[in-house]
Amino acid sequence: MATVEERVKAVTAQVLKLDPNEIKLEDSFTADLGAESVQSIELVAMFEEEFGIEMEEDAALSVETVGKAVEFIAQVCKEQGVVTDDR
Amino acid sequence: MNRAKKHHPLVDTKKPNLLEETYPYSLPPLIRFKGPVVEYIDGKTVEFDFGAVKDRNILISDTTFRDGQQARPPYTIDQMVHIYDLMSRLGGPNGVIRQTEFFLYTKNDRETLERCRALGHEYPECTGWIRALKGDFRLVKEAGLKETGMLTSCSDYHIFHKLKFRSRAECMDTYCEVVEAAFEEGVRPRCHLEDLTRADIDGFVLPFVERLMEMSSQVPEELSAKIRLCDTMGFGISYPGAELPRSIPKLIYKLNQECGVPSDRLEWHGHNDFHKVHTNGGTAWLYGCDFVNTTLFGFGERTGNPPLESAIFEYIALKGDLCGINTMVITELADYMRSIGLPIPDNYPFVGRSFNTTRAGIHADGLRRDEQIYNIFDTEKLLARPPRVAITDKSGTDGVVHWVNEFFGLKGEDRINKIKIHKLARWVIDQYDEHGRLTAISDQELEAKVKELMPEYWAKYKGSQK
Repeated sequence: MATVEERVKAVTAQVLKLDPNEIKLEDSFTADLGAESVQSIELVAMFEEEFGIEMEEDAALSVETVGKAVEFIAQVCKEQGVVTDDR
Repeated sequence: MNRAKKHHPLVDTKKPNLLEETYPYSLPPLIRFKGPVVEYIDGKTVEFDFGAVKDRNILISDTTFRDGQQARPPYTIDQMVHIYDLMSRLGGPNGVIRQTEFFLYTKNDRETLERCRALGHEYPECTGWIRALKGDFRLVKEAGLKETGMLTSCSDYHIFHKLKFRSRAECMDTYCEVVEAAFEEGVRPRCHLEDLTRADIDGFVLPFVERLMEMSSQVPEELSAKIRLCDTMGFGISYPGAELPRSIPKLIYKLNQECGVPSDRLEWHGHNDFHKVHTNGGTAWLYGCDFVNTTLFGFGERTGNPPLESAIFEYIALKGDLCGINTMVITELADYMRSIGLPIPDNYPFVGRSFNTTRAGIHADGLRRDEQIYNIFDTEKLLARPPRVAITDKSGTDGVVHWVNEFFGLKGEDRINKIKIHKLARWVIDQYDEHGRLTAISDQELEAKVKELMPEYWAKYKGSQK
């Protein structure tokens, strides 16, 4: 099973139409990866679908980098009892 | 650089000051005054107490069926009767809309008047409108009216060039003969000083009004002449310091304080040729004119008259209370007028289809957080018109989510968040970015897309609808 990081990068690549191998943890979704307003919403929606979780809107949209998204999603999965390969 | 004359320290707080004494939200923003207003008249300082308007018996009069009809094809009798009925409900039991005037010349005019009066409403009282001809009083008398307006044009443009009098004295004598005829018939004359803001005030207007007051002192109070100040071409100016004959403050002061016309016999009638019509009406109220003459949605000769519905909100703002007014009828009137073919621009205040619709995403975000941020007052409570968002490429996801929540009627905790509408937001963006669309997206299109892209929400909130 892929790690949270791999799955976050895969979703990001799919939504933003990028090569997953070029996405780094320190990349900012907006400044580095070029996410526009609606794409930020789509990213959160796709993360929810990928991990089967519900994220609080304002908190999720305030996450700026890929690395922070990995941490945030891992934490939400833990809180909502969703099993990931990163345990 | 100018040196600061006064220091203004920050008043820090963690509790917002929303100025609710002025912006109660349940009412239109209140107009509050502090201290007297000064005008220099004939070298003297004259003070006006605008705050007194709260306790004065200011009122609205209406000319939708007279001046209002001069700007459009005639209404049918049924239409006028229905509008009159709605107007009565709007003004409420205190008769804030106190009077409305009717033509009396044709069979249809007279039947309209009869049918309106047959409704039995106390207000608006029905009055007439005639030319300054003695013979016309027969029509007023036959219609059983207690008051009629009559043309007493007062600028030299009218006296000499339109009416072809040979002198001002001849003109004044003629007008006074007609006023005398009104008194004899037991009808109160309301003298319409046409083209007042282009008249010789000292040379004709004041002497004429003085003579009217002298004549009125010889008849019972209920017959005494009223004076309508007609800003026929919209030349009136509200600014303090403006000169006669354009100065509204000075005109009212002179008629009220120098000629002795009581405030309850003074009425302002404006036109909108310079976009000043509503403020000029409010100014007239404040300087001592009790009546402001209006038409529904401002429809009137050329550029129109003070809009009745705006005067209603000005009235509430000055009084700080609804005073029995039923503001919801304004929306009913607008719907009715549209249904009979009267065009109302989408951005027209209070009743246009988009008057409280925002198109900017940043404003939609404000509405989403708290509708008071971008709504003028509680438009749902006062006009049955909640604030709306129109969807374009500028709406952003905030605009789309506001539209969806309003469409489903969701408030507070029940509101859907932005994440859940991402497919709809994407469709909207693609309309412009991918398909080059240049028009706003209609409600009907969005409804169809919500049904397609958010079927679970459609089933939950619109499930009983096809």
